[in-house]
Amino acid sequence: MTSTANTRKLTILAQDPSVKLGGRIAFAQVDVPAEVLSSGPVGHRVKVIDFDASANVLYAPRTFGRTQVEQDLDPYAPDEKMTAAARKRWEERTLADPRFHAQHCYAIVMRTLARFEFALGRRVAWGFEGHQIHVAPHAFFEANAFYSEQDRALMFGYFKSARGDRPVFTCLSHDIVAHEATHAILDGLRDGFTNPSTPDQAAFHEGFSDVVALLSVFSLKEIVMAALLGKGKVPPKGKSIRLVNKSALTRKAIENSLLLGLGEQFGAELEGARADALRRSIKLKPRPDLLDMPEYQEEHDRGEVFAAAMMQTFLKMWLSRIAGLGTFGGDRYNLDMVVEEGAKAAENLLTMAIRALDYCPPVDLSFGDFLAAVLTADAETVPDDSRFGYRALLRETFADYGVLATGGKIDPKTGQWASFDKGDLVTYSRTHFESMLHDKEEVFRFVWENREMLGLDDRCYTRIESVRPSVRQAPDGFFLKETICEYVQVLNLYAAEIKAVLGIDRPDGMPTTQRVTAYGGGTLVFDQYGRIKYHISKSFQDSDMQSARLQYLWDHDLLEKPRSARHRFANIHRSRLGAEGDA
Amino acid sequence: MMALQPVSATLFAYQVGFGDCFLLRFTYSDQSTRHVLIDFGTTGLPKGAADAHLLLIAKDIEAQCGGQLDAVVATHRHADHISGFATAANGNGPGDVIRSLKPRLVLQPWTEDLKLAVDSKGPAGSAAAGRLAAARSLREMQQVAEHTVAALDRKPNYFNRKIAAQLRFIGEDNISNASAVRNLSTMGRKNVYAYHESDSGLETLLPGIKVHVLGPPTLHQSEAIRKQRSVDPAEYWHLQSRRAADIGAQVGDGGPVFADHVIAKGGKLPAHARWLAYRMKQAQGEQLLQIVRTLDKQMNNTSLILLFETPNKKLLFPGDAQIENWSVALSKAKYLDLLADVDLYKVGHHGSLNATPKTMWNRFSKKGKASKPGRMQSVLSTMPHKHGSEDAGTEVPRIKLVKDLQSQTNFHTTTALGAGDLYVRVDIKV
Repeated sequence: MTSTANTRKLTILAQDPSVKLGGRIAFAQVDVPAEVLSSGPVGHRVKVIDFDASANVLYAPRTFGRTQVEQDLDPYAPDEKMTAAARKRWEERTLADPRFHAQHCYAIVMRTLARFEFALGRRVAWGFEGHQIHVAPHAFFEANAFYSEQDRALMFGYFKSARGDRPVFTCLSHDIVAHEATHAILDGLRDGFTNPSTPDQAAFHEGFSDVVALLSVFSLKEIVMAALLGKGKVPPKGKSIRLVNKSALTRKAIENSLLLGLGEQFGAELEGARADALRRSIKLKPRPDLLDMPEYQEEHDRGEVFAAAMMQTFLKMWLSRIAGLGTFGGDRYNLDMVVEEGAKAAENLLTMAIRALDYCPPVDLSFGDFLAAVLTADAETVPDDSRFGYRALLRETFADYGVLATGGKIDPKTGQWASFDKGDLVTYSRTHFESMLHDKEEVFRFVWENREMLGLDDRCYTRIESVRPSVRQAPDGFFLKETICEYVQVLNLYAAEIKAVLGIDRPDGMPTTQRVTAYGGGTLVFDQYGRIKYHISKSFQDSDMQSARLQYLWDHDLLEKPRSARHRFANIHRSRLGAEGDA
Repeated sequence: MMALQPVSATLFAYQVGFGDCFLLRFTYSDQSTRHVLIDFGTTGLPKGAADAHLLLIAKDIEAQCGGQLDAVVATHRHADHISGFATAANGNGPGDVIRSLKPRLVLQPWTEDLKLAVDSKGPAGSAAAGRLAAARSLREMQQVAEHTVAALDRKPNYFNRKIAAQLRFIGEDNISNASAVRNLSTMGRKNVYAYHESDSGLETLLPGIKVHVLGPPTLHQSEAIRKQRSVDPAEYWHLQSRRAADIGAQVGDGGPVFADHVIAKGGKLPAHARWLAYRMKQAQGEQLLQIVRTLDKQMNNTSLILLFETPNKKLLFPGDAQIENWSVALSKAKYLDLLADVDLYKVGHHGSLNATPKTMWNRFSKKGKASKPGRMQSVLSTMPHKHGSEDAGTEVPRIKLVKDLQSQTNFHTTTALGAGDLYVRVDIKV
């Protein structure tokens, strides 16, 4: 019999081992794409190898080996009928089993990847050659976890608890695994976002990964329920409606219970080491000048501003959806409905955020660009935003944090990218529609043919980074089909030439012989007929952008300083977790 | 009687390879002299140097100062700044010679105050407890270096050669030099442990000269010296040092965390795991290197930054201070102004990337073309190819900086010394 299941259920930790809900460690069963797994687990996108470089040993894999997904039962699925004492023993046994750790990592990475593929309507490749990402759940003894492009791997460290000698495993934190997986996925979608550029671009990788990790939790409804009820026990699902008091649903109460509360205890393990960094952003009070303050110039701190704006938007979305629900006796709500609305709000926002990636420029991304991208991508699939007003909410909340969708190529009214308006000048005749859907060579020919109209600089080396189909279902049931192409322009210069070539002044103190690499690029969005719909570009000749970028890189000594992909995230995360980063 | 005024200064920049050793002499209007020895250490002598090279230098210092040092300054604890202060069992080590010169004052940064450990009885969270924890933890961090070097000895092939060499160099520089530390704490008639804007104790010994202590800041003066926020400093430092020491201890043979689940050991890994295992080892080596570098930098950031101001001239000795140490002084307009017309600059941290802050360099008003009257002098003590790499843009000395120093200052460097030359001499009218 052929297996027909699309998903399988696997047990994971909904947060981390120190988070207890209703007196129990928060395990959850989640759906992950079904596939016949090899031992590891090793699947078509993830290869878990449990090597520990500090101990120089290999641990036993989580074994699989059945030819049918249905036969490979999850040995870690909790028995809901266990007594409290038996449950406690089961929890201890499971947490001490490295094979469970391997399954936990596999499931969260696959779930995160599936979330992206669902939003984009296509397969998403990793940012390196190959199809499977390595996952090392116990990579080494260090309070760090990171994505390394050059090792095609996610590495999760472990360390001793601040409260004793007990080991703490970063691989058991849902948020850390989801965060690292997102880095890897984002790198596959937008390779250029790891290049040295403006502070926003570097911060975006961090902030976006935080947002994906935080929003992913809201689909685990039992967990959200338990967190909302705090010390109160979640009533069993039965005939009567489960209720929650409205006092648990104020903005502050939700911030404390779900957004901050969940991460608190794991943070305590790392006392003083900022493991709660991921959630600290929620506390950030909005200020329009936040991004100009010196403490928000470093990438991880700046990323928190982005995460704060997104999470506050989510909170407002959820609260406005709750406000639309009926009450029981004026002070109680249907708990299932409340949680359902939270799951929907999180899903909607996450989908909007992921789809926005296709509408981002390939280089020098700013938070404002991303905001314009979200607004545009969302308006494409949901032209009528009047029911929930998500787009207005996003603009308003981002503005509170000083992020505005403004600038030359943005429609000031809507905050969206302006539609392409040079359609009459484009030469389509020398390229073929069908090839333009997938062939980089064909798209390059098109771009080259139209270089003048697109504002390209022919002195640069120009290349097509990607050609990808995008299929999204709109609320009206119809599919929106687009082709997303990214091109990048690069030119190596000496500082003495930048005035002549870029029209900008040399930063103070920069010698004329300093080597500088200047970038430009754009994203072309083609509609289903193969016509340009949007040209989202960072023109090579945009002197304001080039000047800001160069000044930032010069001030921070990032010019000519190659940073290996391994170092890049390792350092950022070390400094978040343990303040040991390379400043 | 007219107050004694300095009329000239002479700087002897000794050839210590990768390290610092400066003897600063002030000559006064009555022809009397005062001598301050600023650092004495090395982690790599030049090729062909005699085994007793440091002793030769110590003897030369003895001769230059006529058997009496007015002050010894040890900017920070790194071996390349203090190894020369180590004594020998036979009483004939370079540190024994310096000790015999009976310095009237030994000046060190506040983090070196060994008495902090016994004197401090402040409650947890108090300023005193924070200082204690910081000072103690700096010492504990040297264990990381010790563990790292021991691991390299134990497992010479665990990391690739390039990483291992860098780990060893930084590790050895950070290993505690107990003899030198002890000698420094006891050789002077007086010990001063200074911090940003504190008294140096030098002014009573150097009439007519004002000595500004620009760094290091205390924990209260700068949170930037460590990236701590909203955490009790004592607890923070304790955690950091403990965690780092643990990491150093576990290179390559920490016990497995799941002993019952081990299916293969390093040398006998199944084929499917080897590629990643190799990469992970290298990643771990790089991680360790980053940690050791960070600790190295933190130690550099405890450096004293001294500005000697005579009626007409300013001489700047910043040890190995990095940007985080500098940041407190440079955040104040009065120090930016004070530093703008420096006449002699001892190039920070052997010419590394982050030790000559751009904000300061750009404001140096006396740098300029060779024809500029009263042109700034710069003195660099270094040895190329010991620290950092050109590929990563972290080479010491930084080529870009050296070019600037050459083109815009009267540049003196120990790398220009010939075999047998003991020092570079710079004279300056003050």
